[in-house]
Amino acid sequence: MNIQVLYGTETGNAEMLAEDIVAELEADHTVAAVNLADFDPSEFDTGTLYLMVCSTYGDGELPASAQPFAEKMAAAKPDLTGVHFGIFGMGDREYDETFNGGPATLAALMTAAGATQLGERIAHDASGAEMAEDLAFPWAEDIVAMAGDALGQAA
Amino acid sequence: MTGQIAIIGAGPSGCFLAQALLKAQPDLRVDLIDRLPVPYGLVRYGVAADHQGTKGVTRQFARLFERQGARFFGNVSIGSDIGLEDLRGAYDAVVLAAGLSADRRLEIPGSDLPGVHGAGKLTRALYEHPEAEALPELGARPLIVGNGNVAIDLLRLLAKSPEELEGSDLGQGPTDWLAASGIEEITITGRSPAAAAKFDTVMIKELGKLADVSIRVIDAGESDDPDAQKKLAALNALEGGAGARRITFRFGLTPVAVEGSDRAAAVRFSTAQGEETLACTSVLTAIGFDTPGDLPRDALLREERDGGLAEGLYATGWFRRGPRGTIPDNRADAGALAERILGALSPDPGKVGAGILAGLDEITDYDGWCRIDSAETANPPPGRCRAKITTREGMLGLARQEDTQ
Repeated sequence: MNIQVLYGTETGNAEMLAEDIVAELEADHTVAAVNLADFDPSEFDTGTLYLMVCSTYGDGELPASAQPFAEKMAAAKPDLTGVHFGIFGMGDREYDETFNGGPATLAALMTAAGATQLGERIAHDASGAEMAEDLAFPWAEDIVAMAGDALGQAA
Repeated sequence: MTGQIAIIGAGPSGCFLAQALLKAQPDLRVDLIDRLPVPYGLVRYGVAADHQGTKGVTRQFARLFERQGARFFGNVSIGSDIGLEDLRGAYDAVVLAAGLSADRRLEIPGSDLPGVHGAGKLTRALYEHPEAEALPELGARPLIVGNGNVAIDLLRLLAKSPEELEGSDLGQGPTDWLAASGIEEITITGRSPAAAAKFDTVMIKELGKLADVSIRVIDAGESDDPDAQKKLAALNALEGGAGARRITFRFGLTPVAVEGSDRAAAVRFSTAQGEETLACTSVLTAIGFDTPGDLPRDALLREERDGGLAEGLYATGWFRRGPRGTIPDNRADAGALAERILGALSPDPGKVGAGILAGLDEITDYDGWCRIDSAETANPPPGRCRAKITTREGMLGLARQEDTQ
């Protein structure tokens, strides 16, 4: 399967996780990590699964590297019907009210443009005991399994 | 060998720079040199003990040493153990990432009275820096001068009940000190109006979770600016509560003198209306940071342009930009500086690199840090995620156990 791991990062933690997900999946799939800052919405492709990894910054806002992407989405208003994505959020429950605000915004941008979200939005808590990858690897496997059916139908 | 680079300071700005350099050129030799036997600088000794999520960035830095080939040389002081010029002679490029660890002084009459403490000095003691002074007696009514994020960290820690420190890495000594502090009221003052205050909104919102406080926000004022409005809304939402510790936010107060006969007992401020004096039992200054003076920062930065100081000499992070900007702001700087360094690099195979450090005693390495880290996290007390080794000797003892297992 063609997979792109799109990451929105501020501290680099989401970038590291995206690279780890690539390493985890690359034995069985064609997969690459791409910074959202370097990704144009016109590149979205119904034959590719998008695994999005995104943190939150400041007061529940998108991280720096996801902001240019949000601006491009607003300007281009692409029709993403048939595009499938899953989304994994990285946050910190020390900041309760705005926990995972960034990924929520990103998921909303995608679905508003017609894309289909696979699975639930998962939220890792940096102040919790679990490692992000321990949540993210099973999540990625689940989404890939769901996409096997979904992308098949779309093709 | 494609070049050897020494980075002075293994805190976040040094580590992010090493990361950017090695990402661009994986076969580069990158050595991080630190005054302390342990790496990560500000993340370990400046990020608040109850902000463990923020400290998670060290997992990226660990990878530098574990997978990307960076090396750590701890317990090496530039200036006393080895000269900066010697280091420049041994490496193709040297980067100053030493941060700013000294408190900026409050330059007003009375600021040298007993009972006036810098926030950096106090937080170093709270976070058990090996060179920290003893935790001081603050009395029932400390007053904080400054309201940036460092001031808010201090306010939050002083206001927390013991239960609210669960999951932190605050040590036993500081925990006991906080529990016995007897603080009844904390006043936090800023020079600017609230709309222009330096704190981040998210830091203010976090105060809303404090369990045992009552908060007053006096004259926060208004603003037309949307960002400032968010700040004001977050502040005003704090107002109230029935907890035992009183917190008062004040704005538009410029300190003119610390008053007291033998110790700080009040601060006199100038205000828009004239003057106002607030009584207190201690004064905590959180008005920025400065160089501790181990490196001649002003002279070094005189010719600074985009991080370049002289041929093969660079600066990054707070050492370059001053005490402003968060950890990720410094990460953004690192990418541009790495490109610049690599563009100008002309490797000289004759340079000895870390060979220059060979004669020094008790240098610690990354494996030594891993032994310290394991010792600290193996059996933390209940409610804590780590129990720091608090002395240089203790750290060196653990780091030294190389090859003896």
